[in-house]
Amino acid sequence: MTRLVIRGLTKRFGGLAALDGVDLALREGEILGVIGPNGAGKTTLFSLIAGSLRPSSGEILLDGRRVSGLPAHRCVRAGIVRTHQIVRPFGNLTVFENVLVAAIHARRPGARPGAGHARDRAGEVLEFVGLADRMTQFPGTLTLAGRKRLELARALATAPRVVLLDEVIAGVNPTEALAFAQLIRRVRDERGVSVMMTEHVMPAVMSLSDRVFVLDHGKQIAEGTPAEVVANPQVVAAYLGTEAEQAVAS
Amino acid sequence: MSLRPPPVIPRTAGIVFAAACVALGVVPVVLDLSAYAHNQLTFLFITIAGALAWNWMGGFVGQISFGHAAMFGIGAFVAGRVSLNLHLPVPLSWLAGAVVAGVFAIGAHPLLKLRGPYFSIATIGVGEAARVVFTYWEGFTGGSSGLSLPIDGDLKYQLYWWALGFAALVAAASVVIRRSSFGLKLLAIKADADAAADVGISAPFYQDLVFVLSGAVVGLSGALYASFQSFIEPADMFGFDRSIGFVLTAVIGGVGTALGPVLGAIVFVVVKLYLLDSHPELHLGLYGMLLILVILFEPLGLAGLFRRVVRRLRPARGGGS
Amino acid sequence: MERLLDLALSAILLAGLYATMAYGLGLIYGTLRVVNLAHGGVIMAGAYLGWTLHEGFGVDPYLTIPVVAVAAFGLGVLMYQLLVRRLPRGPAGGPASLLLLFGVWLVLRNIAYLIFTGNDQTIRTAYSSRSLAILGSHVSVNRLVVLGIAVVIAVAMHVLLKHTQLGRAIRAVAQNADSCTLVGIDVNRIYTLTFGIGSALAGVAGVLLATLFSFSPNAGASELLKSFVVVVLGGLGSVFGISVAALIVATAEVFAILILPSYLTTAVGFLLLVLVLILRPGGLFGYRVLS
Repeated sequence: MTRLVIRGLTKRFGGLAALDGVDLALREGEILGVIGPNGAGKTTLFSLIAGSLRPSSGEILLDGRRVSGLPAHRCVRAGIVRTHQIVRPFGNLTVFENVLVAAIHARRPGARPGAGHARDRAGEVLEFVGLADRMTQFPGTLTLAGRKRLELARALATAPRVVLLDEVIAGVNPTEALAFAQLIRRVRDERGVSVMMTEHVMPAVMSLSDRVFVLDHGKQIAEGTPAEVVANPQVVAAYLGTEAEQAVAS
Repeated sequence: MSLRPPPVIPRTAGIVFAAACVALGVVPVVLDLSAYAHNQLTFLFITIAGALAWNWMGGFVGQISFGHAAMFGIGAFVAGRVSLNLHLPVPLSWLAGAVVAGVFAIGAHPLLKLRGPYFSIATIGVGEAARVVFTYWEGFTGGSSGLSLPIDGDLKYQLYWWALGFAALVAAASVVIRRSSFGLKLLAIKADADAAADVGISAPFYQDLVFVLSGAVVGLSGALYASFQSFIEPADMFGFDRSIGFVLTAVIGGVGTALGPVLGAIVFVVVKLYLLDSHPELHLGLYGMLLILVILFEPLGLAGLFRRVVRRLRPARGGGS
Repeated sequence: MERLLDLALSAILLAGLYATMAYGLGLIYGTLRVVNLAHGGVIMAGAYLGWTLHEGFGVDPYLTIPVVAVAAFGLGVLMYQLLVRRLPRGPAGGPASLLLLFGVWLVLRNIAYLIFTGNDQTIRTAYSSRSLAILGSHVSVNRLVVLGIAVVIAVAMHVLLKHTQLGRAIRAVAQNADSCTLVGIDVNRIYTLTFGIGSALAGVAGVLLATLFSFSPNAGASELLKSFVVVVLGGLGSVFGISVAALIVATAEVFAILILPSYLTTAVGFLLLVLVLILRPGGLFGYRVLS
């Protein structure tokens, strides 16, 4: 079953089309990796889906309901949430409060069973990402990995159906990266959330994704399983070296 | 397990607060207060309410307004006119003042899209524009001659309790907002309005709401002030110095804390009284220096100092975070 | 038609003053990302200093400019070193720097009040009331001199920013302060100098203002507003941009006087300023560069 359907999505800045007629589908319970060279339009795509930007044309449907053009906070209420490439915790709130404030709005029907109260939900999500012991601390005291976990926790607290992960793994050491990858799998498996992720850490994207979508200059150039995508000559030409092939092989 | 840092000032403070209000309520009856002291306290309560309301914008949402005098003045003159010309009972005129001030704040909606210094400077513009317009709108404000309201000794005496109740209500509201999920959302918006949107919080909605509430309450304080002074003139009521007063009381008291502005208002009024006798010209400079000291050394102002003292006296509770 | 010419000339002359006022604010904002709320106060201080030198020592007001510039420069350096330097840089420091400099403005105001009382002052010289005939209009000598000085300052600013080592350093720091530390630029020194120069410009603008209009310790709010709007309109980019923006603001003001009763023009002026701020796309200038 498809969660998110994107048709003909276009975003123009002045005369330049950052995204040009993109069609994409995100299925229920899958992890979709979005890759592409710098400037391919990945962040623009995420911003459009999450509501920070309005499309020039095209549409975005979540479970059949039109969400394109909705402002960010409405998208969250509908069930789409994003994390930021450069983490943006609320520095004046504790870790717990950061997640709590996001959980307050998670009052959608179909939210995870048993997570009625916002405080319970916040506590549960923090347990899930492994920050339960840091609840009363402020984000400034966390390491980068900790803040990235917080960013993820905050997103999950909104009880989303779709979560967009913007380079969540980049910048952390390999041990933490592995832990994150595990976490992302658990998000898909245990929480029933569909994940769209963009990442420059190729091994991570290729090993995590069920499917991969490749962007270049605002257009889709390939789509398929990691193995298929890696073998696609167009993709190789545009961007991948042997790095990804090795990653998939391992 | 406690999921929030323990409040530095414990719940018992609520009882203390209520007791203080009751005590203040009976003071004029029990002690034989001079008319002067009685009135100064009335003025203090009105100042406290205004400072707390300003802080909802400046401290909770984080948008510093240098133009709150506009709503203060509007509240005052609307109330004055309503009671003078429409002969409505005075409390109703106060309400009218509050409502119109709130409507004005709604009208200022476009301003709220501005961030940080842009917003602040725009409020200087709006405040000054209001001052000029209302100064020349003689039909409404009496221009440079101002507006004289009938002097009612009984009212001025009773104003003490009206003002006390008002201040107490605003203070209670401040605490409730601060500790509620509403307050949490405001703080998130203050920290990062865009990130707040990304977790489902609509910054414009909350900013508008708080601005209207803040404006209405400040308007109400202006209305009460009009009854207090019995004579109001636009140059004073809409003056930049009034706007500055709101900023000073709240920031020196502790911008962002729930009750810091109360301390700021007390200092403000006391200093004004004392200096008014000896050196009336010094007070702005003094506040300016206090402001500088607060920003550099204790961002939470007098409330912050108070908290530090409380923490020192309670080593068993630990240092918090 | 003649009236139109009169107005156009008035606008040009006024623009010179506004541009000079704006450079200081723009320089500081562009480099330090700090809105100097004490800007109006420094303008006022410059006005008083020029006035004092004129009244006390009989110096021609325009000749006081170098002295005022140096004094204001010193004031700016002090403000930075003692106060602004202690603040955290970046968006977190925003409200703090606003309030801090606001406090400085209050102190300046109070000092002026103590020394000079609250009365309006203006600088009058032998030639203040004289005017020259230009293109059929009568233009006051003062305004011409102010324009002349404004042009000189504009050129000097341009030369400073584009053709000197210091200017290059300032532009580099404005673009990316962190990278600058990596290549050995003493960012703190640049900040100090920028604040000094910005204040010097404000002080000089104050002297110019004093020769044209009356002022009191309360002066500064509308000067701050106008400077800010000129900066927003003109961009932190070129001296040329600010000059053009100053012309636009001055023209709007001059022609508003034509249409509206005098008291309303001030109010409309303020509201127009607010409108500019709102309509300016993006709102947050943030990362435009001094080029």
